[in-house]
Amino acid sequence: MLALINRILDWFKGIFWKEEMELTLVGLQFSGKTTFVNVIASGQFAEDMIPTVGFNMRKITNGNVTIKVWDIGGQPRFRSMWERYCRGVNAIVYMVDAADLDKLEASRNELHSLLDKPQLNGIPVLVLGNKRDLPGALDETGLIERMNLSSIQDREICCYSISCKEKDNIDITLQWLIQHSKSQSR
Amino acid sequence: MGSFRREKDEEEDGPTNAYQNLEKTSVLQETRTFNETPVNARKCIHILTKILYLINQGEQLVAREATDCFFAMTKLFQSKDIVLRRMVYLGIKELSSIAEDVIIVTSSLTKDMTGKEDLYRAAAIRALCSITDPTMLQAVERYMKQCIVDKNAAVSCAALVSSLRLASTAGDVVKRWANEAQEAMNSDNIMVQYHALGLLYHIRKSDRLAVSKLVNKLTRGSLKSPYAVCMLIRIACKLIEEEDLPAEELSDSPLYTFIETCLRHKSEMVIYEAAHAIVNIKNTNPRMLSPAFSILQLFCGSPKATLRFAAVRTLNKVAMTHPAAVTTCNLDLEGLITDSNRSVATLAITTLLKTGAESSVERLMKQISTFVAEISDEFKVVVVQAICALCAKYPRKHTVLMNFLSGMLREEGGLEYKTSIVDTIITIIEENADAKESGLSHLCEFIEDCEHVSLAVRILHLLGKEGPFAATPSKYIRFIYNRVILESPIVRAAAVTALAQFGASCPALLANILVLLGRCQMDPDDEVRDRATYYLTILNTAKPELYKNYIIERENCSLALLEKALSDHLNGDLQTHFDISVVPKAAIVKHEISNDIMMVTSAPRAPKITREEESAARLAQLPGIQVLGPIHRSTAPIQLTESETEYTVQCIKHIFAQHVVFQFDCLNTLSEQFLENVRVELTLPEGYTTRAIIPCPKLAYNELQTTFVIVEFPPDPSSSIATFGATLRFVVKDCDPVTGEPDSDEGYDDEYMLEDLEITVADQIQKIKKNNFQVAWDAADSEEWLQAEDTFVLSAVNNLQDAVNTIIKILGLGAANLSEKVPEGTHLHTVHCSGTFRGGVEVLVRAKLALSEGVTLNLTVRSTDQDVAELITAAIG
Repeated sequence: MLALINRILDWFKGIFWKEEMELTLVGLQFSGKTTFVNVIASGQFAEDMIPTVGFNMRKITNGNVTIKVWDIGGQPRFRSMWERYCRGVNAIVYMVDAADLDKLEASRNELHSLLDKPQLNGIPVLVLGNKRDLPGALDETGLIERMNLSSIQDREICCYSISCKEKDNIDITLQWLIQHSKSQSR
Repeated sequence: MGSFRREKDEEEDGPTNAYQNLEKTSVLQETRTFNETPVNARKCIHILTKILYLINQGEQLVAREATDCFFAMTKLFQSKDIVLRRMVYLGIKELSSIAEDVIIVTSSLTKDMTGKEDLYRAAAIRALCSITDPTMLQAVERYMKQCIVDKNAAVSCAALVSSLRLASTAGDVVKRWANEAQEAMNSDNIMVQYHALGLLYHIRKSDRLAVSKLVNKLTRGSLKSPYAVCMLIRIACKLIEEEDLPAEELSDSPLYTFIETCLRHKSEMVIYEAAHAIVNIKNTNPRMLSPAFSILQLFCGSPKATLRFAAVRTLNKVAMTHPAAVTTCNLDLEGLITDSNRSVATLAITTLLKTGAESSVERLMKQISTFVAEISDEFKVVVVQAICALCAKYPRKHTVLMNFLSGMLREEGGLEYKTSIVDTIITIIEENADAKESGLSHLCEFIEDCEHVSLAVRILHLLGKEGPFAATPSKYIRFIYNRVILESPIVRAAAVTALAQFGASCPALLANILVLLGRCQMDPDDEVRDRATYYLTILNTAKPELYKNYIIERENCSLALLEKALSDHLNGDLQTHFDISVVPKAAIVKHEISNDIMMVTSAPRAPKITREEESAARLAQLPGIQVLGPIHRSTAPIQLTESETEYTVQCIKHIFAQHVVFQFDCLNTLSEQFLENVRVELTLPEGYTTRAIIPCPKLAYNELQTTFVIVEFPPDPSSSIATFGATLRFVVKDCDPVTGEPDSDEGYDDEYMLEDLEITVADQIQKIKKNNFQVAWDAADSEEWLQAEDTFVLSAVNNLQDAVNTIIKILGLGAANLSEKVPEGTHLHTVHCSGTFRGGVEVLVRAKLALSEGVTLNLTVRSTDQDVAELITAAIG
């Protein structure tokens, strides 16, 4: 009986406290951005993805939170356009291929030059080190060091190591995101 | 008055356009709304409409504005509103050419085009193709192929039409879609079949064999779509035109048989297309034409206005090529004169005018005058042009036609309409000396009440030119002086110039003109006063040679070349005086009366560029060309090869004071050859020296490139008439026909014989038409002018007109005072012509011709240079 009342209560909450958040997903190509969106949207993982030419826009409902995701292509020619889609969002999610050590430096430079844009001041950033299931992938501490995340002081920044394939740490990522839907109102 | 009228109009308009007074900056500000969440679809649609309206009104967005707007628009992809999404597609298409980074929407559009929502798919394909550049096309190729064969007709059509558009930039990729297009041809939908045929034809267009295979297959099969059949008829016509068979063989050819069977098709559209095709084929005989003309005749009586219009328009167009066949439809056409549709009526009447006999002109003109007030300006122009053609055909009818035209001039009408009437009257005056007096007096009347400044100025100029030589010049003075009193400064200035012409050419009127010009010196406008003072001073000197040089014969330098010559002069050492006589004269723009008077072209006329101006720009790129001085003349291109050979070469001769620059335009028609170091070697006649050869480094397949040879003339003009042998020399490298890249670095020398080149007298002379030759001729009877005279018998020609044409062609001179036209039935004629020899030597020629056994010619040449005068007399012999 109590459970039933609780569910009705949740349902009412869902009507009145519906949360909406907007986030932009960027990062170098082949780091798993579109895969990540698919995983959090439908839980499906596919190996053979085609590169995103431009952007994908997805709406994901999780509990009483609707997340709007702008998933922007990571090829060099799109990188100059990242900023346009990052303006005014609740959070920027930056995807890194933690197993591809050769590209880490390029990834770090792109992240820092993106965060230097004055328009994006104060927007929280979540750095995700994807593909932790692969051998030789960096963990959080390794990533923080190699990405030089400690130098970013002017905003909230967080780093998780995840695996879309194994669905590792996807839940804590979602939790972090949902928290930030409330914390910042535009 | 004008502004008052406009205000009134606005009041009458009633509800005004909501988008009328939009401002670009404020609309662009509003695009910020696109970033808001949730998306307010209604509001966004309204803003997008405003943007589209602005762009379509011609508002220019700079790249940054367009890019900002474009990216704001991409945010709208989150909305599921169908109308909004379709508006976004339209916005993408409009901005795709201005904004940067438009490929950002590729992924979103690909999703829409392959998605489930049918309303999105077709529009998404069109938007996608507008943002895709050839390099990106690979990524979407798979989807395009799928869409071409899609079951949904709208999707398939959109994909086919977009492919056709892409074919112009990425032909190679689109070529790979031929199989899909072939499959789409089998569709049951008429539009899909039509567009598929269009794409397939475009892909195979360059391959003649493939096209004729395609046509042969389809003519036997049954195309369902009438549009596709029409298209097929057009393709078949093109093939027929290329084959160029004589009439007997043509009537048996399968292509022609196909078109003929289409005359019995069940769709009217196809029947018309077939009839239209047949009457426009070149090699036909009356037997082949008659079924087509009976179809058109039948359509003339159709209750449907479109069919009547189509038929009468076609008849109008071919009236000149098949007059006899069109005459058979005359009865039906006369029935259409009273047609309730004025466009049909106008076309019917102009067709009748074209084919009508001299006797029916009066009757037809009467019929036109009953309804000319009711038709639009555009069709009035058609009528005027028909009258113009009629005048050329029946010069004796000029009184009827001239009266009619002056009646039309008095009516209300726009500038374009009035201009066409004035043009026609001027043409009549120029062509027909009998009509001159009455034409001039009609024009005089017209400028008494003419609101168009440009026309008034033209007519005043004409009066100044022709009036002094009319029977009673004095009667024009009043009309002209009225302008000085009544009109705007521009017209007053033109009137002053016209008055001065009378003063210079009619000694009897000089005293009066001086008084009138004296009054003009009080004019409030600077230009008018200046002109009056200028002319008054010259006329007061009473020196005929000054009249000639500064009033009657004003030099019409080509302005572009004068500017160039002046700037060259300023960059020079400024030790010498500037010599205006070396600047080529502006070409006299000859007005062509085209037979195709049906087509009312609203496109603005391209500005007339003379050959000299064009080549000056081109030659300026050659190193060291400034040394040669300003260009004197460029000849028309001559072909040095047959038209269908391995290499085609045409030559343009640019004549300078002491040099000639041969420009060779070479085209390589062999796809498996790549030529390098292409140059032309000339065998020089005695006296000529080569100064430079500028080879063309690379000549790839199907490219037009240019090589130059600069040669100096011999010092003595009499040996400048010569023939040059010419050989094309080059290094051949074999190459892959597809890529055009040479297979190896090794090539071999080869040569190719060209036809001989000639330098003639005419090449070295720039023609000048003197308005008053007699004055110039008399003034040239002085010390510094030299004269040469000779008498010839021209046995090759047997009438005077041919003789005159030959002389003018050989000498390349311009005839003065219409003396190139020999009146009919005379045995004696005098031609006056003039020009400038290279180096600025003026040449005047008087040729007296007499017709007896053959034509006897007495040629007198006056020139400032003895050698030139002799050269010209020698050229005739």
